[in-house]
Formats: sequence, C-alpha cells, structure tokens
Amino acid sequence: MKNKKLLIINSIICVALLVVALPFLSACGGGEDTAGKTLKVGIMTPTTGIAAEKGVPLRDANMDCIAYINTELGGINGYQIEAINLDSQYKADQAVTNINQFMDQGCLFFTTSASAEMSWVQEIANRAGFPGLVCYSSPSNYHPPQHIYGQMPDYGDDWTAFAQYYLDNIWQGTGKPKMALMLLNNSTGAGAKNAAMAMADAMGIEIIAMEEHAATTISEMESLTRVSAMNPDVIYISSTPQPTSIIIKEAKNIGLYPNVTIGVCHAAMTKALVDLGGADIIEGVYGVFPTIVSWDEDAPAVVKMKEYAQNLHPNDVNNGDYIAAWAQSLIIAEILRKTLDAVGYDVLAKGDAESWAAIEQYGFQGLDGYDVGGLQSPVNYVAGDNRLGKSLRINRVTNGVITAITGWVEAPLIKYEDYDWFGN
Amino acid sequence: MSLPCGIRNYNYAQDMAIFRTKTHWGMLIVFLVLLFTVPPLTFNHLWLNTVNTIGITLIATLGLNILVGYCGQLSIGHAGFIAVGAYTSAILTNRFDMPFLVGLIAAGVVAGCVGIIFGLPSVRVKGFYLAITTIAAQFIIIWVINHWGLTGGFEGISVPYASIGGLVFDSDVKQFYLVMVIVLMAVFVAKNLMRTKVGRAFIAIRDNDLAAEVMGINVNYYKLLAFFIGCFFAGIAGALLAHTTYYLNAEQFSFTDSILYIGMIIIGGLGTTIGPMLGVTLVKIIQKVLLPIYMVPWLENSITSLPAGFATGLAPIVFGLIIVLFLILEPRGLAHRWNLFKAAYRLWPFSY
Repeated sequence: MKNKKLLIINSIICVALLVVALPFLSACGGGEDTAGKTLKVGIMTPTTGIAAEKGVPLRDANMDCIAYINTELGGINGYQIEAINLDSQYKADQAVTNINQFMDQGCLFFTTSASAEMSWVQEIANRAGFPGLVCYSSPSNYHPPQHIYGQMPDYGDDWTAFAQYYLDNIWQGTGKPKMALMLLNNSTGAGAKNAAMAMADAMGIEIIAMEEHAATTISEMESLTRVSAMNPDVIYISSTPQPTSIIIKEAKNIGLYPNVTIGVCHAAMTKALVDLGGADIIEGVYGVFPTIVSWDEDAPAVVKMKEYAQNLHPNDVNNGDYIAAWAQSLIIAEILRKTLDAVGYDVLAKGDAESWAAIEQYGFQGLDGYDVGGLQSPVNYVAGDNRLGKSLRINRVTNGVITAITGWVEAPLIKYEDYDWFGN
Repeated sequence: MSLPCGIRNYNYAQDMAIFRTKTHWGMLIVFLVLLFTVPPLTFNHLWLNTVNTIGITLIATLGLNILVGYCGQLSIGHAGFIAVGAYTSAILTNRFDMPFLVGLIAAGVVAGCVGIIFGLPSVRVKGFYLAITTIAAQFIIIWVINHWGLTGGFEGISVPYASIGGLVFDSDVKQFYLVMVIVLMAVFVAKNLMRTKVGRAFIAIRDNDLAAEVMGINVNYYKLLAFFIGCFFAGIAGALLAHTTYYLNAEQFSFTDSILYIGMIIIGGLGTTIGPMLGVTLVKIIQKVLLPIYMVPWLENSITSLPAGFATGLAPIVFGLIIVLFLILEPRGLAHRWNLFKAAYRLWPFSY
C-alpha cells in the first residue's frame, strides 16, 4: 500500500517534470536542423488598433508575398525568408517592444507600415545601427539620413511632384500661382508643410494659407471660407480620405471647386476618397500616388499578387495597401539577395551588428534600379538620400475612377536637415 | 510559557504600521526579491516591456486615484498631464542637455503646476461639470505640443537615454530597475499620503465638501493640492515614458488613453492603493498580450471564414465587454476581492 502511494507520487513528479522540461527539450532537439537556414526579417504592422483597417491588408500582403517567394521562387538562393510579424497596435510602447524583439531574435532588418510606427522606433534603430524600411514615410523618418530607408517617396515629395505638375501642365496665368494648403494635424500634413516651406519660393508658388484640420473633422467650412476670400488658384490637401472628401464637398458647396484646381496626397488618393465623397463631387481632382493604383494594370507582379490575394485574402483584392506591402516584400527579398551574394550566409546567420552593417551596405545601399515588378518606381540608393523609391505618378479622378495621367515623376531630394526650422 | 492570542499593539506606531508582523515583513521581502530578480532574469522583451509599461502606467494612475478616488475631483485629461511631463523632460534633456534627474523632477513639478491651472475650475464646479473642464486640458495641451517649436511639433522630438551618473538606462532590463524603484517610491508616497492630515482632508472633501468646509478644511486649497499631486505623479510617469520610448509625438497621448486611465482605477477599486495596481495590471495584460498575441491570431486562424479585419475589430469589443461585465459583477473593483481574500486567509481554516 505504502509502495503504491510512493509510486503514484513519483509518477506525478515525473510527469510534472516532463511537462516543465518539454519546451526546453523540443527547443534543443528541433532547432539544430533548421537553425542557420533562414533569413529573419522583422515585419511590423498595425494589425490591431486605430489603424487596423490599413494594417490588416498590409500584413496580409507582406506574409502572402513572402510565402510566394519561399514556395514558388525557392526563397533567396535556397534560403527561406523567416518573417517575424508583430502587431504594433499603432501604439508607441508596443512598437518599442517589437523592435527590441526583432533585434533579440536575430532579425537582419525590420520594416514598418506607417511613418508614425517608424518614428516611435527609429531612435532605437538608429542608435543600434539596425536598418529599417518604412512603407508610407514622412521626411522626419530619414532626415538626416541614418539607418532608416523609405520604400517610396514621402508626403513632402507628394507636394513637390504635384506642384511641379501643376506649374508645367495646369497653370495658365502670369506670376506666381496662389496655393492654399489644407493639412491634417499630424506627420501627413507636416510632410507637405515642410516641403512647401522648403520649395515653394524656389518653384515660384505663393503659399497663401496653411489651414490645419483633425482626422475627425466634420466640417471645414470656416477654414475654406477664409481660403476662398484669398482667391487661391489651387488647393492642396495633405490628409486622409475622410477629411479630404469633406473639404472637397464643402469647396464645391461654396463654389470654390471646380473653379480652382484641387490636388491631394497619396494618403487620400484612394478608392475610399471617391466612395466617401461621391464620384460626381470628386470628379476631376488630382492626386499623387507612389504605386500603381489599379489591380488591372499591366505590371508583371500583378498576376501573382492577384492570384495570392484571391486565394488567401479575397477581401484584400483591389486594396491599394496590399499593393504597397507586396512591393515592400519584393524589395525585402532583393535586399536579402544582394547581401547574401556579397557576404554569404555565415555573416547573415549571426543576426547581429555585423549582419546589420552588411545588410545596409550591400542590401539597402546596393539597390541599383531594382524593378519592383512594375508596382512602384524602381528602387535605388543614392548617397545622402534614404528614399529608395523616388518617383510617383500623378493621377486624376476621371468618370469616378482614379486614373494615372503621367508616368513615374521623380521627386527631387529636399535636404530638410539643412533648414533651421526643420524639427524646431 | 504564555503565548499571546492574536497580535497586540503596544504603542501608536505599532498600531499604525502597514507591515505589522514578521510574516508581513517576510512576505514583503520575498515579494521584493522576486520582483527584482524574476522579471529581469526570465522575461523576454514582450513581457519585460509589458511590466515596464505597467509600472509607468501605475505611477500615473496612482496620481489619478489620489485626485479622483480620494479627493473626488473627476479628471478626464490625465493623458494630457502625462504629455506635459514627458515633453518637459524631453525638452530639458534634449534641447538643453540637462541631466535626467533634473528632467524627471521638473516633469513632475511642471505637470503639477499645469494641473493646478486646469484644476482652478474645481473651486467653482464639480462632478460632470469638472470632468468637462478637464477634457479641455487634454485638447489644449495636445494643441500646444503640436504647435510649439520646442516640442518638435508634428514631427516629434527624440529623447536621450535616461542616465544617472555613469549609469545609462539603455536596455529593457536597466529600465525595469529604474521604473520599479520609482514605482515603489510612488506607492509608498501614495499609501502614506492618505494616512496624513492632507489625505484625510482629501477624503473629507470627497465624501462631503460642505461638511469638510464646516469642519475647517480649506476646501479650495486641498482641491488644488490634489490636482498638483495627481498631476505630479502623471508628470513623473510621462518622463519615464519619454526615456523608455526615446521619441515623443502628440499621438502617444490620446483622449482614449485618458478614458482608459479612469477605467483602470474603477476596475481596480477607487480610493485604494492596491486598486490601481490590480486594475493597471489586468487592463495592460489584456490590452498588450492577451488580445493581440493570443485572441486575435486564434480567431483569425480558427475561423477562416471571418472577413478580413473582423477579428481585429472584435478585440476592442471583447475588451469593452470584459470591463462592462467586471463593473456589473464586481463594482467595488479588484481591491474588494483582494480584501475578501486577505480576510479569508487570516481566518483560515475557519470560515469566520
């Protein structure tokens, strides 16, 4: 009886010890075969929280494209890309946790979707020399240039490209055209404001008003009335679709539009703008976008992108963010390929500062006109300019559809860091 | 040999002590040893950062609890006061190269003074009316931050590592020690403040400000003092937040956060020191770990027919549901549950 009791107690202890030790045992056994055969990349997306509407398709595209690269293209020279996807919740403290995890887990570099996410972690990355790639960027992410790179032109570039297009193709008057800026009160608006402050005089544009609004605005009639009294020739809106649609509707109500030209930044120039504003109201509005805007466009990467989206995430079909993140993943693969070719796997297997330096030197800075499947302008690195994609297209809403009216227009580099007011 | 039955107090100091027995002291020491060894040695970045966030939020909510829970002055602009502290420290350390400790103390003082300014309406209004005036604080502060050159405007401002002497707090582990030491100091101050004349005046004002005035309490003075102390705590929390995230912009201090701070102290238990600890811990673990790390991926993987983003949208609904259910089932907060547990523990194995 006594022995039986002892046996039961011993058995329970053994089972408990086994349960406790199981994770360690499995880690020891399973890691050896696969260790050193993957290339780890940290991918941060705002999958939950207030930006989840954009974060979910961005995450889906990143993971779908990497699955495509791993399964159909055999990875990078045979090495699989191991994407570590973490949700930032669009919160600073979570983003900080994530970047520490990326570094801790031996990621070779990391990506973020939004300029805000990158702004929260760029100090940590820059201090550690941990390279990062941001999809939708703001000038403050990489001015002055350090270890953060922009996948596409930023909100400042949007303004410059549109302003140049306006001067070359629309402006018919004499002297300087008068432009009013309607700016969202965050980095989206600040990007256009900075570019206008830096370039307007040199380009020959008179900025007559800079009106700010919140993302939750329900009316901008007051600011539009002020703007209207100044007789602008052109209004530029650097904001998201909802406030932009309100501004355009009200501009139409007071007779300002279509008498003046309206241009919008790439945060607003989406199908959502047309849906929210109504096709007849938004008709004729100009806008810039750094990727293709239509899923039916004749670009090589569209075929696979469409196939994966339809099979894995049908709700993301026709979503512009999906295009941007698919392009981001193609660039991720190219950065890894270039570095792998240059330094070999052993250096990358370390996942430490040496690997990061190699990734930056041979991967990011080795990009020399890589064609991103036609989804965006080719990416290349030029010393002192951390924007990898430098061109965007001018689009116009025609018959309710956003249609490209130019080819890729290069936005010139603005050295914001040389201006006293930048960041002050 | 005679053994005393129960615990005897022979003087006033013994009677007032928080830790009255050797068992209490033993448990405190064990708790502190575990607190300062287990997380830094065993936690990964996610959990360590969660603990740091809990610590920083706890300091802020301890201040809010003094203001709302003890003094009865409803404030819905606490994230704004945290922002004041964060930017004060960021500006002093970044723009003026001041030491971290100067930034930390200045953060508390400046936030406290700003708190007094926005607390002035409390002299004339209370309840929901006061709540509305404190909402103004949130929006005015954020507007100033976005438009003042020193704060970096919309672009934000970078913040150097916290450092004391030669010790630079440049990792999660080091920051954990910094945050926890300040948390312990904050808990000590908050707990003991309520046992002083000031604390009793706060409670008297909360329970009936007219009666308090009749008793000779300078109601206006103590209301503004509560704003100063509550916002001082918020300022200290803001400074720690700044030096652990290294970068600030106004988007980090949303009105939603201000509401959530109120939710945390209600869930934890208003007017207790243990309440904010329990409330913050529960809410932050749900918010930072359970929902995004476990629930959303589980929903997305197990119910594949859900439309894209549905699980994500479900997360805040579940979070809200947890809070609502909690308030219905345990309106006195987790602190009440904790007290019931302690009472049961003391009497065990007897039921009463």
